[in-house]
Amino acid sequence: MLRTALTSTAIAVLGGLSASWLTEDFEVWTAEGARRRAVIEAPVTVPPATLLGAGLTGHSLHGLLASPGRVTLVSFIYTRCPSVCLALGSSFQQLQAAVSGPAMDGADSSADSGIKLLSISFDPAHDDIDQLGRYASLWRADPRHWRIATVPDAAQLQRLLQAWQVVVIPDALGGYEHNAALLVIDERGRLVRIFDEADSAMALAFARSLQRATHASLSS
Amino acid sequence: MTGSRWPALRRTVSWPWLGPALGLVLLAVLLWPPVRRAMESGMTQHMLVQYPAVLAAGALLIGAVPQRWQQGLQRFNELGIAGLLFAAVAMAVLMVPRVLDLALVDLSVEALKLLALALSGAALRLSWHRAGTVVQAFFLGNVLPMLAVAGTLYQDSTTRLCNAYLLDDQQTLGAALPWISAGILGLWLLQLALQHSIGRDAPDAIEEPALHASALTPQAARETDPRGTRG
Repeated sequence: MLRTALTSTAIAVLGGLSASWLTEDFEVWTAEGARRRAVIEAPVTVPPATLLGAGLTGHSLHGLLASPGRVTLVSFIYTRCPSVCLALGSSFQQLQAAVSGPAMDGADSSADSGIKLLSISFDPAHDDIDQLGRYASLWRADPRHWRIATVPDAAQLQRLLQAWQVVVIPDALGGYEHNAALLVIDERGRLVRIFDEADSAMALAFARSLQRATHASLSS
Repeated sequence: MTGSRWPALRRTVSWPWLGPALGLVLLAVLLWPPVRRAMESGMTQHMLVQYPAVLAAGALLIGAVPQRWQQGLQRFNELGIAGLLFAAVAMAVLMVPRVLDLALVDLSVEALKLLALALSGAALRLSWHRAGTVVQAFFLGNVLPMLAVAGTLYQDSTTRLCNAYLLDDQQTLGAALPWISAGILGLWLLQLALQHSIGRDAPDAIEEPALHASALTPQAARETDPRGTRG
């Protein structure tokens, strides 16, 4: 019985260790949770990708994102999306209103001019420049604040999705399900934080604080 | 399950290699990349087809291990406690949603997942009858509620727990798990009822083997593992 007790103890310890490794000390239970923790600890620089979109065609994504004092909120979309992207679209519309209007917390509104919005379509086969334009006018995207683009090169797009762990799977209706979220990109083009699309106020607050921090370090 | 419990059957159909061979074929089919991908293409297939199939392959394959080694192993597995604990722990870990996503993208996680499942199948087969009713009840009392609760969580979650799987797939799986849990409980109660009816006769059977001549040979009746009926 002693041998069985020792074996059982070893099994329990082994199980505890694997569970603790898997859940990062019982903090995350899903791949999405792990992804969000991982970028906080190790920001992920955007891989090389060339854009297609109004006023952006031929530009590099890194060039668009990386600019001193700039913080970008990125979401991945496809313009045919019926459900979750509608929520994303309207939350981006509200974010646009927030960053273009006077800052609500009484802070210098010019600080918000450094906060940009970018929607990236992962469906370049359907989302050509016309479709992207239609999407922009549907949501009244103001290109000074909110740009809409895609990455036409399939290999580059895949690398981008992989680097930022954006998982896109076809659904039964000819569309896609994807881990829709608000991605905060810092002035060096690094993904530093991920928020639920429903938490756009938190995402904006974080972007503002990040922006103020970089602003302060720029002016000092 | 086949060997010790039904010696009469085993004597008439004496193909000891059949189980392990089936297990090997099953495992090979399951590991064959197109089949593996198909089984992992949905959350429901992943958990409700691949998991049990690998468990079964493991249970069949353990038959290939010589009796002498099995007995050696069993010295570490009194009352089947270590084996059932292994299976319960492995299943608890493998139900974490992150495992399903990781197994798709990380080959070492996939290999460990399949190994843990096959070993759990083997452990269940080695331990089930040794365990007896009380230890079996303890094992099921832990595993079955876990299955049902995980299923309820999968079903009620409005967000996807696995990035690689669709929400309605997750809800299908979630809806099935409590039923599966209840089904396993039903099977176990059936096993208890059968054991009870055999168990009541068992002492007589040893003294009066002729009573059971129609069902088992007298020798087989005497060999029927009394542990199987012990509480």
